[in-house]
Amino acid sequence: MSCSPIDLMDYLLHELAGPRRAEVEEHVQNCVACREELDRLRLTQTALMSLGEEEMPRRIAFVSDPVFEPPLWRRAWGGFWGSGPRLGFASAALLSIAILVSALTRPAPAPVPRTVTVVREAGGIGADEVDRRIQAAVASSEARQNRKAEELVKRIADRDRRQIEALRLAAAQEVDYYQHNERVLTANFSALRPSEGEAR
Amino acid sequence: MIFRAVEDADLIQQAARGAVEAYNLLVSRWEKRVYNYLLRITGNREDALDLTQDVFLKAYQNLRKLDDPGRFAPWLYRIAHNEAYSMFRKRRPETDVDELEPESVETGIVFGGSSVFPMELSLAVAGALERLSPEQREAVVLKIYQGFKFEEMAEILSCPVSTVKSRLYSAFDLLKAELAPIRTRGVS
Repeated sequence: MSCSPIDLMDYLLHELAGPRRAEVEEHVQNCVACREELDRLRLTQTALMSLGEEEMPRRIAFVSDPVFEPPLWRRAWGGFWGSGPRLGFASAALLSIAILVSALTRPAPAPVPRTVTVVREAGGIGADEVDRRIQAAVASSEARQNRKAEELVKRIADRDRRQIEALRLAAAQEVDYYQHNERVLTANFSALRPSEGEAR
Repeated sequence: MIFRAVEDADLIQQAARGAVEAYNLLVSRWEKRVYNYLLRITGNREDALDLTQDVFLKAYQNLRKLDDPGRFAPWLYRIAHNEAYSMFRKRRPETDVDELEPESVETGIVFGGSSVFPMELSLAVAGALERLSPEQREAVVLKIYQGFKFEEMAEILSCPVSTVKSRLYSAFDLLKAELAPIRTRGVS
């Protein structure tokens, strides 16, 4: 053990546990400096103890006067609620009672929905039959949806075909118009040439 | 018939139920110690007596809140500490508590009544205690004169144990230095 004034103080003031106290005692026997310091501390403590206790000039005594005594029910009430643990216990007990009362007075559960009843009335239907019917309903729905999709595609295709046909017809009419104009112009040009020869 | 000493815990339980006589017996066991504790930290007999009465009145009013009768002593001294510092603040509200000193150095407070120690030593001790800070002095009083453990002192003073130790160790260093000349003159 090394020299520690704090250990010496704690040793002097009886604040060291048994093993530690024995260590300090052993150290003090072998260490002159610590022994002298402990002696100084002991002398200081002894000097302090030279101041004794003083007697009281007057003794204190309380008298029981019913006028100033709180009523019995208030003392009992205050005695009960003045304690933290008791207050906690009482709170827990009240909470437990509230839960119990709530559980006992809870209204009956709401009636089961009608759809569930229908399923129960169809008793005798096994899970496989239910699955089969669900699959059939799903297949029917899918077929219906496929049919509608096919009709829609066909309708769109017909519309596109009609639009293309109309465009093609319009283009053909345009071609006919330009060809007709070309023929007219050619005829007119041919008609003009002889008149030029005649002029010569 | 079995006789046994009436423990403080028994008196506390009876007093908590309103038995004034039981409380008076409890007061008679503790009043001198509380008075001397207050006398050491206030340095004034009248104040110490008034405060002692207030402490026991307040303790009686709050006795039902004491859950563990085994902790009565630190609980009672906690009340005493609070009452004393409350008085200090009322008298000098503008002064920080750390700067509070006993009102007067009554070197003749007590001289022990023991023939082993001469008056010179008692005067020197009283003077040395007065020169400590209020916190150091209270730590010395609680430990040396009242015999409390560090944990109980921490509870009374409402501070960590490390603070209690620090105050006490520094106080002892000062007291050792103050009282050394007296001892070396062979008074002790």
